[in-house]
Amino acid sequence: MLTTAIRNLWAHKLRLMATVFSIMLGVAFMAGTLVLTATMRTTFDNLFADMYQGTDAVVRAQSAFEGPQESTGAQRGRIDESLLPVVSRVDGVAAASGEVSGYARLIAKDGKALGNPTNGAPTIGTNWTDNTTLNQFHIVEGRPPRADNEVVIDRKSARDGDLWPGTTTTVLVQGGPMRVVIAGVGRFGTADSPGGATVVAFRLPVAQRVMGAVGKFDSINLVADKGVSQTELVQRVSSVLPKGVEAVTGQTVTEESQSALRKALGFFYTFLLIFAVVAVLVGAFMMFNTFSITVQQRTRENGLLRALGASRRQILGAQLVEAGAVGLLASVVGIFAGLLIALGLKRLLVAVGIDIPSQGLVVTSSTVLICLLVGVGITLLSALSPARKAAKVPPIAAMQLGVVGSTGYGSKQRIYVGLTVLGLGAVALLLGLFGGVERPMLIVGAGALLVFFGVSILGRTVSLPLSRVIGAPLPRLRGITGELARENAMRNPKRTAAAASALMIGVGLVGFITIFVSSTKASINDAIDRGFTGDLVVDSGGGIAGGLDPGLAQRVGALPQVETAAGLRVGIAQVDGKAVIIESGGSDLFKIMNVDVRQGSMAELGRDGIGVYHKIADDNGWQIGTTVPAVFAKSGHNTLRVAAIYDDNAQAGDYVLGSAGYADNFDSKLDNKVFVQAKSGVPLATAVAAVKHITKDYPGVKVLDRAQYKSEQSKAFDQLLALVYALLGLAIIIALLGIANTLALSIGERVREVGLLRAVGMTRSQLRTTIRWEAVIIALQGTVLGLVIGLFFGWALVAAMGDQGVTVFRVPATSLAVVVLLAALAGALAAVQPSRRAAKLDVLRAVVSD
Amino acid sequence: MSSLALESTTGTPTAPRIAAHTVDATKIYGRGQTEVCALDGITVEFEAQRFTAIMGPSGSGKSTLLHCVAGLDALTAGSVFIGDDDLRTMSDRQLTQLRRDRIGFVFQAYNLVPTLTALENVTLPLRLAGRKGNDDWVHTVVDIMSLNDRLTHRPAEMSGGQQQRVAVARALATRPEIIFGDEPTGNLDSHSSGEVLHFMRRAVDEMGQTIVMVTHDPHAASYADRILFLADGRVVDEMRQPTTEQVLERMKRFGE
Repeated sequence: MLTTAIRNLWAHKLRLMATVFSIMLGVAFMAGTLVLTATMRTTFDNLFADMYQGTDAVVRAQSAFEGPQESTGAQRGRIDESLLPVVSRVDGVAAASGEVSGYARLIAKDGKALGNPTNGAPTIGTNWTDNTTLNQFHIVEGRPPRADNEVVIDRKSARDGDLWPGTTTTVLVQGGPMRVVIAGVGRFGTADSPGGATVVAFRLPVAQRVMGAVGKFDSINLVADKGVSQTELVQRVSSVLPKGVEAVTGQTVTEESQSALRKALGFFYTFLLIFAVVAVLVGAFMMFNTFSITVQQRTRENGLLRALGASRRQILGAQLVEAGAVGLLASVVGIFAGLLIALGLKRLLVAVGIDIPSQGLVVTSSTVLICLLVGVGITLLSALSPARKAAKVPPIAAMQLGVVGSTGYGSKQRIYVGLTVLGLGAVALLLGLFGGVERPMLIVGAGALLVFFGVSILGRTVSLPLSRVIGAPLPRLRGITGELARENAMRNPKRTAAAASALMIGVGLVGFITIFVSSTKASINDAIDRGFTGDLVVDSGGGIAGGLDPGLAQRVGALPQVETAAGLRVGIAQVDGKAVIIESGGSDLFKIMNVDVRQGSMAELGRDGIGVYHKIADDNGWQIGTTVPAVFAKSGHNTLRVAAIYDDNAQAGDYVLGSAGYADNFDSKLDNKVFVQAKSGVPLATAVAAVKHITKDYPGVKVLDRAQYKSEQSKAFDQLLALVYALLGLAIIIALLGIANTLALSIGERVREVGLLRAVGMTRSQLRTTIRWEAVIIALQGTVLGLVIGLFFGWALVAAMGDQGVTVFRVPATSLAVVVLLAALAGALAAVQPSRRAAKLDVLRAVVSD
Repeated sequence: MSSLALESTTGTPTAPRIAAHTVDATKIYGRGQTEVCALDGITVEFEAQRFTAIMGPSGSGKSTLLHCVAGLDALTAGSVFIGDDDLRTMSDRQLTQLRRDRIGFVFQAYNLVPTLTALENVTLPLRLAGRKGNDDWVHTVVDIMSLNDRLTHRPAEMSGGQQQRVAVARALATRPEIIFGDEPTGNLDSHSSGEVLHFMRRAVDEMGQTIVMVTHDPHAASYADRILFLADGRVVDEMRQPTTEQVLERMKRFGE
């Protein structure tokens, strides 16, 4: 039986290739993701181990609380620099050095700000450490900084910004733009930059000043005497530390950095893995379809084998061996293709600014094992049901003429099962989104999967009416060819539905993402229209960590063309036990930013007042005057009083602190944005020119009018959309292969019919038209089902994110129409090869075969 | 009924018009050692408005001759003419149009597109040509083939005889110059077979059609005006106004 199985494979090389390709793509994507994960992990583990190699212990403030997102990590205050001599005197400490770090953004030689801290790696300022063991930098060009205006920068920034020793440039820091001279260029271990961050090292007193840490350190790094272990050093040092300050081993710091980076990249991996799963899933659908058709076509052959004495188990076994061989071949090829994908993804990461030190790809045995298991497993799984059908073929089938086998409209039982699965999926999805359950992402994912499965189970039942409706205009449009195409799409609903299912998944996700992104963008626009009554926004482009020095807001506010210029600041705090992002602004800000205050007043925040979004207040039962416990990294535990409750959180977030309160509790003095209202009667262009005259001293800063502000806010979503489209394109390609394969197989079944049509006068081009339109109907069927699902997913997610600012549900008709059009075109494309082959069929052979 | 006959039926009985003819038609399959000569230089004429049967033992080349004359297969050497047009000079597109507009076909089996109704099958060639498939002629054809109560049925819902009648009607629908039948009754029982042949005969007598049919059934051949006997790729005999007994007698001699 084994040889029969293998021979079968070889007999249909083309079909084999298409099937292998579909599974291969999914496996390759998975392998690529896993290989990249392993490679990055190893790379960064090595990098951090290298960087902290000389550090035996670190003294720092105890963690006040964990940041709101996993990647933000522990929030710590600073320690007093007077601790340095105390710690240095401890027996066993060979060397000790203080360190500060904060926001600093380098300006490239061409005047543009380096790095993209909003979406990419941070832009870091720190101090130069003279102790070479503790210094993570090692200079590759130039020398250490000797004067207050001299800095050492990382080599990636030097390369990207064309900044080499001797060059004078600007660094944006808390005190405003600062002119500096590059003294040296350094590397971190084997990397030009730690993970793509830009790093500027000043002399210590300068660093303390520009990071807003005069008299303070973020940490003190220690080297132990020979013979003193890291643990011992920590023990000895701990005894001299005041309350709230801790000492940890270098090893601990290394591991913390390693795991923090893993977490930061974790989202990216999850994202990629989801697409790998989607690709594998779509491949499985195609696999199932191909096996079903071949089994049906081999009915007589299997009947003959049974008549010759093959047992059911042998037939089943042969089918599964065939499937297993396909799966194995596809997985092996997929793993190799995965290496290429990993290289491509690495390039992509470098392109978005994440610097990865050169290191060979890391292929672990678990990567290989997972890919083989998934590839072979999913193939076997999708072949199981067709194989069982093959085993059920009675010996008499060998004697029967023609291909029997149901065209399948779906039994009642099947409809019930499909509806149940669909219902379960929808419930799980909604529960995950609205139910406040543990691990909501997992439940939402499982729900989405079940919805797809449910719809594909019901596929054959809805296929017939759907084909009828979709194909309805065809006979009028295309005459007899259109009519035949429609009839052909309707003649085997089971097959049409299965071919459409694969496409449905890809289109469903595309539709979902399109609807979600366009709702989000509409919500952003809406929020800006509602919440921002000013004219201009000055954006630092520095993300949450960076910002504009407060002098800018003052200078802009002093302009004769400007009525109000108010800064918005951002920070992280723990409020009532929960880590949150907190925003802050003076009363001026709330003159031009409308948050719909319901109770209290933003003007009365004072030092200890807090404004709260009404849903948060409602959920916690807070009212005006309620006191709420809060923890800040700088100031520690504190008590805040609810002074205002507002209805619109789209611009100012859920929590607002007054300017005085912010100054008390945060080290940063940077404005995240400055909102500007021009004096009435001043033309917008005049105001823009005046503001730009000031911001030209601040490279990287953008002056945006309302429209630009809107598009700037949605830019990230457009990028996300492009990435998602690219990845889903993969799933759609697999699905199209599936349609092409299905068509080729069904035409193989219809050889005689094709011959007859040609004999009675159908031209080749008419034949091609017929097959093309059949493919278009199948493709549109998948598209329609996909869009319905996408609409549901999109609606559900938008509804669930109402509190997070997605307040508008927008169905982008034009984009979705383009999707439909593209799907139809793609369907026609899938028909090219099968229709060409059909047109080449020898008329005579087709008519007189047998 | 004479009004239904083709306009151009003005020839005298003594000199009938020629609907198709071959000149030195030769067809060789394979090459070298495996070379098989299916048609060995056949020159033959098929008269218009006549029912011609081609008979001969297996491998005599009768089906090959039919396929070549019908433009389904190409000759190795020699010529085939439908009317005055030489098929060898035609492109695939021209051949397709020839088959669609000027030739009708009835095959042994699988004559109908399963997804189309009887009427849709009948009008298929007309609609492929972009014409309306609903004129008086089609109604007449359907009438004569007694298919009026079957028009909306699909092939799967019809008996074998009914299916073949639909096939004959389809072949007639375009008013072709010549209809070719490749064992059109080969898959039918004797009753259905007789029915279909009866209708084919009517098509010739009442509608002035021209039919050329390959068959191995002497009874079927007896419906023809003329029988050509083939053996080893050559025309070896001819018979006019045959009876079943005469045909049987002649066929026996092939076995000797």
